[in-house]
Amino acid sequence: MSNLLAVQQAEAFAPQGQKAPVFDEEVYLRLNPDVMLAVASGVFSSGREHYERYGRTEGRPVVAPPRGRVVLTGMPEVAAKQGHDLAGALDAIRVSSTGGIYVVGWVNDAQDRLDSVELRFAGWAVTFDAAAMARVRRPDAEAAIGNGTPHAYGFWGFLYAAQRLTAGACNVVLRLKSGAELTLSAHAEMAEDQDLRNIALGQLAQAPYLGNAYFAATAAVDGELGDQLLDFNRMLTRRAVNAPYVERFGLRRENYKASIIVCLYGKPEYLFLQQAMFSRHPAMRDYEFIYVSNSPEMAETLLREARRCALIYGLSVTLVLLSGNAGFGAANNVAAQHAASPRLIIMNPDVFPYDQDWAVKHEAVLEGMLEAQTRLFGVPLYYDDGSLMHAGMYFEADAMPSLTPGRRPETSILRVEHYGKGAPPETARFLRPRPVPAVTGAFISVARDWFEQLDGFTEDYIFGHYEDADLCLKSLEAGCAAWLHDVRLWHLEGKGSIRKPVHEGGSAVNRWLFTKTWGELVCAELLGPVPEHPALRAAAEEALA
Amino acid sequence: MKVLIVSLYHPELVRGGAQQVAYELFEGLRQREDVEPYLLASADHNSPALFKSGARITGFDGRPNEFLFLTQEYDYAWEKGANVLLVEAFKGFLELIRPDVVHFHHFLTFGIDLLTLTRRVLPEVKIVFTAHEFLAICPANGHMVRRTDASLCTRASAVRCHQCMPERPPEHYFMRDMWMRRHLEAVDVFTTPSHFMISHYTNWGLDESKFVHVTNGMRARGVTLPAASKTGARKRFGFFGQMVDAKGLHVLLEAVALLRVGGFTDFTVEINGDNIHFATPKRRAEIEAFLAAEAELPLAERNVLFNGSYHPDQLRARMARVDWVVVPSVWWEIFCLVISEAWSFGRPVIASNAGGPAERVRDGVDGMLFELGDARALADAMYRACTEDGLWDSLAAGITPPARQEEMVEGFVGVYETS
Repeated sequence: MSNLLAVQQAEAFAPQGQKAPVFDEEVYLRLNPDVMLAVASGVFSSGREHYERYGRTEGRPVVAPPRGRVVLTGMPEVAAKQGHDLAGALDAIRVSSTGGIYVVGWVNDAQDRLDSVELRFAGWAVTFDAAAMARVRRPDAEAAIGNGTPHAYGFWGFLYAAQRLTAGACNVVLRLKSGAELTLSAHAEMAEDQDLRNIALGQLAQAPYLGNAYFAATAAVDGELGDQLLDFNRMLTRRAVNAPYVERFGLRRENYKASIIVCLYGKPEYLFLQQAMFSRHPAMRDYEFIYVSNSPEMAETLLREARRCALIYGLSVTLVLLSGNAGFGAANNVAAQHAASPRLIIMNPDVFPYDQDWAVKHEAVLEGMLEAQTRLFGVPLYYDDGSLMHAGMYFEADAMPSLTPGRRPETSILRVEHYGKGAPPETARFLRPRPVPAVTGAFISVARDWFEQLDGFTEDYIFGHYEDADLCLKSLEAGCAAWLHDVRLWHLEGKGSIRKPVHEGGSAVNRWLFTKTWGELVCAELLGPVPEHPALRAAAEEALA
Repeated sequence: MKVLIVSLYHPELVRGGAQQVAYELFEGLRQREDVEPYLLASADHNSPALFKSGARITGFDGRPNEFLFLTQEYDYAWEKGANVLLVEAFKGFLELIRPDVVHFHHFLTFGIDLLTLTRRVLPEVKIVFTAHEFLAICPANGHMVRRTDASLCTRASAVRCHQCMPERPPEHYFMRDMWMRRHLEAVDVFTTPSHFMISHYTNWGLDESKFVHVTNGMRARGVTLPAASKTGARKRFGFFGQMVDAKGLHVLLEAVALLRVGGFTDFTVEINGDNIHFATPKRRAEIEAFLAAEAELPLAERNVLFNGSYHPDQLRARMARVDWVVVPSVWWEIFCLVISEAWSFGRPVIASNAGGPAERVRDGVDGMLFELGDARALADAMYRACTEDGLWDSLAAGITPPARQEEMVEGFVGVYETS
């Protein structure tokens, strides 16, 4: 409510002839139920304290209006307009014990933009800057308000306070740019950290936006909201990789030609399917498998299947079971620590030998090519329908002009594309060994020392997506381009793990993070299927020579 | 020579064609001095009383060399067991018996990956696999009948299987295909009771040189029954078997309806079988409604009689009541033991023209074939059977006695001994 209206209101409710109303604690709390809640929860010691600190300037009523009479508290048309503008609601507040705070609601700020959302709890308070909140459409609010022009009335925000917080009764102030306020009472509930992450990312992925959803979601996390989500996710990742359970199966050797690291999520059957398929070739006895699980609920099944596989196929298998979903990057980094070879092969669970002797060919590549050409490389991958799925990756940028006032005039986000996707299986130009801007994380063969020098996968990405391209660009920046060598495998893309809306939310954050990290380099030298980057060009010339 | 027969169920616990053949082979091998046979038959929740605490493999009812594999937690999507203790028990059993030949009559309830385990545990053992249907190729019960339009399937593929079973994506069936082939690699010799099956499997990509046709045999019956009809008319038809969709009872009932509509009612059909609860709800409702309506008719107007299930010992009496045996199956029908049974009692067969029946029944010589699934064609054949003088006698005279148990055993021993 505006200050002007508040003063008028206070004076109007004061008994006639009495300028300074007598303060009655009981009457004040009755007339201001949100204050009563705040006092009850300990935010204020008394109604009087609230009145002295806020109530007086807010124009809170201190005495009841006379009965049987209508008392004007301002010009009726002004009051009606103000009231209309201040329509809004708080749908939910969720707080996690480690300090994640999620708030969602809507406000009619079509004319007077939202400035901030303030939450006052017993013992703590926080203010969300509107610029750091996501704005989404609210069909229910649009219908109720009846304003024909589409407007994103909805808002949601996320903050990570990194300190212990408690939920409970909460006073909420929706403040507009003009200073007008709407005060609401709400009750915040506690949520588990992982649930809170899922709620926020699910909201990011599924909320209806004005305009292109993907751009709007990326724009929403651009800035403080994205940083807060990443901070919170880092905390969850650290927790998930802490003290994993590790068990080894099958015959153990001192060292192997390579360590195949597979990150499992949601689908345990890919462990035995891979073991069955890879064990067909005797060369696989020189390889070890390290399965790292991001799904704690699969632990018992994985332990059982690993034991079964050791009996039936006899390959060396190490299980690394994490206590939560650490995401693709961190899980692979942890698994790499348990490797007993100088060569790591990062592999998706839905990758299988297309060439039965792929391991022999892999070794031939390592022995036959220059070291710089094998430090980090990918391979052609095939869809189950027989067509090519992957023969290296390149980058494109999607630009979308933003017509929203106060936003940047244009949003540009990077997109990863695969060379040869859907092409006939023997298309030579995609299969020839060559340097490429990046390769998919479905299969990356990388020298262990180089992987460690690059600090492994960047762990900031949420769940999965873009860590592979990020690793390749780190390698490129450090002086070694990723290569593609002709060792063929199947890839049932997207079938080896479960995927929910929350993962789409993670992808939106990741795409923003990837763009933020690499946008400048990519746009300068790496855009398109024929990039101009000197390291790539030099490597290509070397290959041609 | 030690031969381990691995059987889906024991036929005395759960009846079925595959286990019957496996057991008769086991019995036949026991008669030979050059073979020391062992039987490992699975038992599951159908026989809860036979499960012993902590046991995974036990003996069976005091019989020498007969063992039960107490299966549980079976994963039908991947045709594998989930219980690691059962794998360990199977491995231990192989190491204990150390057979020269392991003859799998199925992988169901054991897990197809036990083929690979067998090869790993006993690298020199001869692994024989008898296919009783197409379960390795077809995830839809191994029938190779398209669920989209009930047509016979001749080629499985990721997309086609997905069309039949859309609850999983094509990639699942692609993967299942690789998974099955991977484990069938362990097999030295495949046998099939019908020739046509070999082409299905080789079209699927298995090596034809690994396939051998070994017919199913049956124990010697008594004597050929005389046709009991005193009038000389041969107008009594019998259906024998499970009342599930694939057996095509609905086609026979539709043919009955067509004959009636055409004004021809001088015939009877006797239905002998059970397990209608395994039929789809639609077919079950159709069949039950037909039989209920039939039961409401005055006795003299009834054409169809439902006799219910029968024990093998009752077969002779049931066969004596019919002149013809109708096999209206709407799937490939691998071998069709009912044909052997009909022939052993001198009954000509009227059968669908696909799969095992088409291979065995010689149209116009020892029986009649009609277009699979075509009730009108079956009605025509039945009308002809009832009205054509001398037809029954001619076809009955053309019947060749079915293969006996000894022939089957000889066939398999030949497979075991061939290097």
